[in-house]
Amino acid sequence: MPGSSYRIVEHPVISFKRGRRVVFYYNDRPVEAYIGETILAALYAAGYRVFSYSLDGKRPRGAFCMIGKCGSCLSIVDGVPNTRICIEPVREGVRVYRQEGLPTAPLSKNVVEPVEWEEAEADALIIGGGPAGLIAAKTLGELGLDVVVVDDQPRLGGQLVKQTHRFFGSREYWGGIRGYVIAEKLAREIMGMKNVRVILQGYAYGIYSDNRVGVAVRNPLKHVIVKPKMILAGTGACEKTLWFENNDLPGIMGAGGAQTLMNEYGVRPGDEALVIGSGNVGLIVTYQLLQAGVRVKGLAEIMDHIGGWFVHAAKIRRLGVEFYFKHTIIKAIGSDRVEKAVIAEMDENYQPIPGSEKVFDVDLVLLAVGLQPNYSLFSQAGAAMKYVPELGGLVPVRTWFMETSIPGLYVAGDSSGVEEATTAFIEGEIAALSIALRLGAGNRGVLIEKRRKLLDYLWKEYRQSPVVSRARMGKLKVTVSEEEMEKIRRGEA
Amino acid sequence: MKKGLVIIGAGIIGVMTALNLVEKGYRDIVIVEKKYPGSGGSFRCATGIRASFTSLEHVELMKRSIQLWPLLSEKYNIPYARHGYVWLFTREEDLEMFRCIVDFHNKNGVPTRIVSPEEIAELVPTIKTDQLVGGVYDPLAGKASCFKALLNPLAYILRKGVKLVESTTVYKVLIESGRARGVLTDKGVIEADKVLVAAGYGSKKILRESIGVDLGLRNIPKHALITEGYQGVFKPLLIDWETSSYIVQVLHGGFLIGSSLPEEPDKPPRSRLKYPVKAVNVWIRYFPWLAYTNIMRYWTGYYVMTPDHHPLIGPLSTVENLYIATGFSGHGFMMSPAVGEVMANYILGEKPNVPLVEHLLPDRIIKGRLVKEIAVFG
Ligand SMILES: Cc1cc2nc3c(=O)[nH]c(=O)nc-3n(C[C@H](O)[C@H](O)[C@H](O)COP(=O)(O)OP(=O)(O)OC[C@H]3O[C@@H](n4cnc5c(N)ncnc54)[C@H](O)[C@@H]3O)c2cc1C
Repeated sequence: MPGSSYRIVEHPVISFKRGRRVVFYYNDRPVEAYIGETILAALYAAGYRVFSYSLDGKRPRGAFCMIGKCGSCLSIVDGVPNTRICIEPVREGVRVYRQEGLPTAPLSKNVVEPVEWEEAEADALIIGGGPAGLIAAKTLGELGLDVVVVDDQPRLGGQLVKQTHRFFGSREYWGGIRGYVIAEKLAREIMGMKNVRVILQGYAYGIYSDNRVGVAVRNPLKHVIVKPKMILAGTGACEKTLWFENNDLPGIMGAGGAQTLMNEYGVRPGDEALVIGSGNVGLIVTYQLLQAGVRVKGLAEIMDHIGGWFVHAAKIRRLGVEFYFKHTIIKAIGSDRVEKAVIAEMDENYQPIPGSEKVFDVDLVLLAVGLQPNYSLFSQAGAAMKYVPELGGLVPVRTWFMETSIPGLYVAGDSSGVEEATTAFIEGEIAALSIALRLGAGNRGVLIEKRRKLLDYLWKEYRQSPVVSRARMGKLKVTVSEEEMEKIRRGEA
Repeated sequence: MKKGLVIIGAGIIGVMTALNLVEKGYRDIVIVEKKYPGSGGSFRCATGIRASFTSLEHVELMKRSIQLWPLLSEKYNIPYARHGYVWLFTREEDLEMFRCIVDFHNKNGVPTRIVSPEEIAELVPTIKTDQLVGGVYDPLAGKASCFKALLNPLAYILRKGVKLVESTTVYKVLIESGRARGVLTDKGVIEADKVLVAAGYGSKKILRESIGVDLGLRNIPKHALITEGYQGVFKPLLIDWETSSYIVQVLHGGFLIGSSLPEEPDKPPRSRLKYPVKAVNVWIRYFPWLAYTNIMRYWTGYYVMTPDHHPLIGPLSTVENLYIATGFSGHGFMMSPAVGEVMANYILGEKPNVPLVEHLLPDRIIKGRLVKEIAVFG
């Protein structure tokens, strides 16, 4: 209910540092918030759950992705409709209205605010400040190149900022360190480099014919046209949804959306939850829900076994979370938010077995059913693309060095095909080293050797694990030799 | 298996022709499409419809089309609205020139009229008129959904037995002893009695491969963008004459902007940062609030131009059973209902329903009998 607080006060891992207290208005009612929060996080903390209505004005929509990728929180902010309040920072006194159906155009704005224009040159432009982009910025920055990093979020780190668990793997690739700590460390290093410029809340909206990239910056408004010699886009991925009755009810959220709320903003996403999907994301988020004080009433998995790492599963099982194998969600019930969720057992054709339904009283259903690469910049730029189910969807074809069919445009991380942070780091570094080699920076022999080692580790060790064989298969399908890429560029392949 | 008619291209022209044939009982048709229906110009268009042209051929063809649009809309559930066009002039001399054009229209049954900046403000809510000296209003003009206009009739003709072959490229029309006998595609030969080239931007190449000449066709890259959708603000399509730009709020709510940039013909279209910058700058002078809307998509497409900016429609005199309907020079969507009708006439050996289209036979290019038209925008 509006008024009650979902802010987390005590948390076993994270201590939330909240900024100055401000007040803004939602549908003309005052809402308390803290600087550093987004509008949606503050509203959620105050108990709001419905943030817009479908285009026909009939179906309520709640928070879903929380990273500005879906359309379920489009609101009117200071007279501007279609503003994604999940990535819009709170400001004192800002007036926010819920959007119901097709919005009216922003007719109250009858003067064009002057927008500052800037043309910026750079050796390399990095689009996306997640693990792939951060490591690339660090690598290129340390080699003395002029680097611009653009991210549409208010802070660097991408999805790392909400990862509170310790990473696996060797120390060299941040094994044993918590995700958000890695993000903070890298962000600090990058921000400290004079030759690296970071543009936050900057939306790289297109890569154009003469290699110019338009970046629309918010708060304050600014238009930056970057003319880089090379581009690395590590634009990440966004969550997939599932098809079932009432799958748009508020309270049904992407697992990452819940992570953003609880781990980044310290807001409890609900009281009682059901999680769908036992891949690593589902397992980790279940653990994090428990840490945030949410009761997890069950975890449904359509397969007959756990999808993610066994250690994660064992941990939450010890904490009493019940697993339902060969089960998935078939229906959500509620009027303007989830009140109940129904799962059912599946037969061998993945059809629900009548009579096997189980009903849960929950206000939160987290979908951890995979991600889809954010491919739009690549296809907009005209890169050769391929649909690869193993990688979550459409991805650009690339060389072993991560260059796409657009010369000078590189890809790394989840936008190259969904895997996880460790591979994003490695791909980001391979791409960065290739860019540096192209630009003639650093010691050629040293860089080549470093790149060779990374490639060896990535393909001959890391991706050899049977747990990641699917992703490996996927990546093999879209990785081509330099000669093959030349053919694709000439339209011969 | 031999077919009656092969139509090359599942654009609005190919589909409307097939629709008219089916309605007349002729169903032995296969449509061969390189990608998917609408993927050429048809789904990239600005959906504008008007008869206010400056040649009698265009005017007559479009008057027929505008009779047909509401009927099609009714029958196939295609959103269509007679929301008008307004030409905006910032220079006296342009307004002067248009006085003659309005006279021409009025003499030929097109009810355009000169309007003052005050009238423009009434026709176009929220517009800033301070730079305007006047305009021309065409109340007969309108717009329709380019998606429904193609997909709904297509679904109907497929139910009636027309075949659609997608993801198949036609290389050339097979011609034997001066007579079309089918097409050669990347997946093999399709034999047929008659062939219609309605391949939009692909027509140039097909014609060159098939008959050795391209009939002067040139594909000019064009740019367009659309904002997210909003409730209705203004109804008419607006043309800013000075910058050769247009804006229209399409029937599903987005503001679609087209604006011309100098482009070389027959080059692959490229997306240029210059484009959104120009498009936005032209229109935020009239609508400051537009600066606070989001651009959702920017795309490119071709205007398939002919030397006289009039389409090539009808049979080719030198090859029996070969028909052409292309070169719409930026106006193929609005013309498609009438063009579909006359193409069906030709294919069935009838006289064209709009007699003046006989001036638009493809041979005119070779014979040097060009038609004149000046009003091409965007
Ligand atoms: C930005 C823009 C705005 C426009 N605005 C308007 C407007 O407001 N009003 C208006 O009336 N018109 C407008 N037009 C023009 C209109 O879109 C075209 O005239 C119309 O779509 C032409 O239809 P078509 O069927 O001839 O061609 P297309 O729609 O291009 O269809 C041709 C089809 O043929 C296929 N094809 C091509 N080559 C081959 C091959 N070798 N083998 C098999 N298939 C092939 C293509 O894939 C395509 O699907 C606009 C065009 C553009 C680009």
